[in-house]
Amino acid sequence: MDTFFQYTVNGLTAGSFYALVALGYTIIYGIIRLINFAHGDLTMVGAFVGWTVLVPFALNRLPVGVAIVLALVIAMAFCSLVNLAILQFAYKPLLKKSMLAIMITALGMSILLQNSALLIFGSGVDAYPDLVSTAGFMVANIRVTFAQAAFVLFSGLLMLVLYLFVRYTTLGIAMRALAIDHEATRLMGIDVDRVIQIGFLLGAVLAAASGVMIGLYYGQITYFLGFLIGLRAFTAAVLGGIGNIPGAMVGGVVIGLLESYCAGYLSGAWQDVFVFAVLIIVLIVRPTGILGERVAERM
Amino acid sequence: MRIAVWWKPALPGMKAIRNVGAAGNARWSRIPYTIQVALVLLVVGAATLLYGDDYVTAVGVSVLTYGMLGLGLTIVVGYAGLLDLGYAAFFAIGAYTCAILTTDFHASFWVTLPFSVAFAGIAGTLLGYPTLRLRSDYLAIVTLGFGEIVRVMFQNWDYVGGPNGVWNIPAPSLFGKELYSQPDFFVIGLVLVGIALVFGRNLAYSRLGRGWLALREDEFAAEAVGVPTLRVKLLAYTMGGMWAGLAGAFFASRLSAINPTSFSFVLSSTILILIVIGGLGSLNGVLLGSIVVVALPEFLRFLQTTRFLFYAVALVVLMLFRPQGLWPDVRRKVDPWLGLEGHSLAAFPGHRQGGAARIGDDEPILTIDRLTHSFGGLKALDGLSLEIRRGAIFSIIGPNGAGKTTVFNCVTGIYRPREGSIRFLGRSLVGSTPHRVVALGMARTFQGIRLFKQMAVYENVMTGLYSRQRAPAWQSLLHLPAERHEERQALLEARFWLSFVGLESDAGKLASELSYADQRRLEIARALAAGPQLLLLDEPAAGMNPTEKLELVLMVRRIRALGITVVLIDHDMGLVMKVSDRVAVLDQGKVIAEGAPAEIQESQRVIDAYLGREADDELDDDETFSGLGA
Repeated sequence: MDTFFQYTVNGLTAGSFYALVALGYTIIYGIIRLINFAHGDLTMVGAFVGWTVLVPFALNRLPVGVAIVLALVIAMAFCSLVNLAILQFAYKPLLKKSMLAIMITALGMSILLQNSALLIFGSGVDAYPDLVSTAGFMVANIRVTFAQAAFVLFSGLLMLVLYLFVRYTTLGIAMRALAIDHEATRLMGIDVDRVIQIGFLLGAVLAAASGVMIGLYYGQITYFLGFLIGLRAFTAAVLGGIGNIPGAMVGGVVIGLLESYCAGYLSGAWQDVFVFAVLIIVLIVRPTGILGERVAERM
Repeated sequence: MRIAVWWKPALPGMKAIRNVGAAGNARWSRIPYTIQVALVLLVVGAATLLYGDDYVTAVGVSVLTYGMLGLGLTIVVGYAGLLDLGYAAFFAIGAYTCAILTTDFHASFWVTLPFSVAFAGIAGTLLGYPTLRLRSDYLAIVTLGFGEIVRVMFQNWDYVGGPNGVWNIPAPSLFGKELYSQPDFFVIGLVLVGIALVFGRNLAYSRLGRGWLALREDEFAAEAVGVPTLRVKLLAYTMGGMWAGLAGAFFASRLSAINPTSFSFVLSSTILILIVIGGLGSLNGVLLGSIVVVALPEFLRFLQTTRFLFYAVALVVLMLFRPQGLWPDVRRKVDPWLGLEGHSLAAFPGHRQGGAARIGDDEPILTIDRLTHSFGGLKALDGLSLEIRRGAIFSIIGPNGAGKTTVFNCVTGIYRPREGSIRFLGRSLVGSTPHRVVALGMARTFQGIRLFKQMAVYENVMTGLYSRQRAPAWQSLLHLPAERHEERQALLEARFWLSFVGLESDAGKLASELSYADQRRLEIARALAAGPQLLLLDEPAAGMNPTEKLELVLMVRRIRALGITVVLIDHDMGLVMKVSDRVAVLDQGKVIAEGAPAEIQESQRVIDAYLGREADDELDDDETFSGLGA
């Protein structure tokens, strides 16, 4: 039983990273119906920006807390700029034309981000500075590191802020309106372009946070990281019900847990098969995902 | 921007140039497609083999491999509109089947080929069957997941070499000659691509192909005009899978060694990229697209490490400037009636049950008894009963939200009513699917027009014939004489119905290019093509001007004269009173009055229902009052 709880703690940590990235998929899907293949790679960009900031600090032995906060902030800002640029140049001109064409440009941006990272940082694995101690505490025989606790709490905080933002602020309401009907939202005098930008901004901030934490937690990053994370996060978003914000959070955590249990009890090599098999079964039983709502069609 | 709109010359000066082009086109397009493909591939093949070195030939083989995959995926994504992000899985299954059977079982390549095709096809069916009801975006992740599952399974399966894959796959031999060089595979590839092109073309202009396109354009409408959407989807998956299996066998024997890394998401996404670059659903586009995705990175080799960066940028730029693809498939046709000259409209094959035009026969054709249906807490239909007699023009009126369209949706199998019975020609319809209802002899139009916009006008009508055509998929694929004959009959009948509604001369346009009133007419023609005994028209006069409304009245009478019973929903009282034999008034899910138009106009309950609630907010609707004679 102890091992079970241990796997749960590990799964929860990974799951909270997935949830942050899944939120980006779900927000962007919600407002413009695009499966943004470049989003996972944005997480990778965040991880590399964090690495770039942290390495000199680690070498200079600055206070760890300051270094990490700085890395997070710079990564968030950089990813936001990148994401807005992608929106502006690669997606916006096609928004009213063809969704499939946008999906192809998204694949293009994914290739672009991966190859940029490959070019700048090389094809090897980059070690993240070892800033996070392995110290921890015991809760009834289960070992939880301070890092795990901090990452899960920070992820939870970000998600809570996002949830409150979408639920209660004017911009958040505009975003939800946009998800339902673009034309009606425009007619209500809402600057649709701006709301879309905010959506991309939020997605980028969460992805960057996830990227930096992934680097710190796992200790190493590669240019290919985005694909792996993106695949799981996208799966999480669909599992929870794509377009649904609490759904993405639930989906992320569920995927993290499933993976951890599978790696613990079965075999690490079959993780992906296991996760996808669960996804397919869930979708067959509930075609709209765990929390997704049925979309009624008007005849 | 549209390409080549033949019937609307922009400038007089352009005309001459265009005509020259059109004449050249006409001469080329008169050649059968099979010959066209053979000629082009022969020229390309000869040029490559004579002037190209080994490198060029190798690149050519790659282009052909991607082309084959693209042509298969075109069925799934291009025709049927089902997003598939795991197409590489079928390719992998074909390749591994070939590899295992030729190495471990020492079978000849040609013997393994059917197995590769069959296994990949079965995989398509297995993937398709449980996931058919999923929406397109969910399908994307399920197919992606399927692709990953298959790859990881091969990766972890020691029998097939795990991550190392299978080696020493023997080269195939033909007539005693072993095929191992690049030129050999280039020739095989050309032949396979040629076959795929011809098959693809045959399918695109067949009963099944129209079913797929209709599915892509509007799944709901496709089902409602008689296309069995689930079945047609499954066929798309299976046929797409089979083709990838064939390509996989070709790939395995060409490389003589395969491993799981060849079948990753990158491959699946590249195939998707190439068919979108080429133009969705366009066969020529697929070839162009595969040249772009294979040759462009090769051409950019001089950029060395940055070449994929430039490739990505090129991809994005290409999409920005040509979102419709390099060689889009436009289904417009200059003369869709070509080859029908000998046939006059009088030679109309005859309405299926129209021979039994028993007008005035008093037997009920549709009986609705105590029908109840609700949405959440809202009761849309509350114990509604109606009887419609054969040969009548029956109108259903009532204020907004009275449940009129819900009646149509229950009757046509779109909703399954909570309670009550629906009997059509003596059969119960409760629990039936829309396409079965169409096959039984009931067709409908929609309140909001739902045409297959990117299909030609005549193709829309031919799609309406789906439930009456019989040609199975394999006959369509091979374009056999029986299928040709049936297609010809379908075309003739489409022509009849288009002339019936007055759109014969617009037959070659795209449905989206018609005016609003013409689109409504086309919807009626499409419904009539299904050979219905009962036609349901949902607000056919909405948005029409008085002249068009008058034409509509005449058309409804002509439809009845063919022996078809008509049920009509409309708000225009003038029209309803003029055209109907009987009128039923609905309010809050119940029939509050039924009778001849004159009786309805007198009925106090009807006047109350309208004046009570609608008068306050619909003062602009004069006809409500004048029509009722209030």
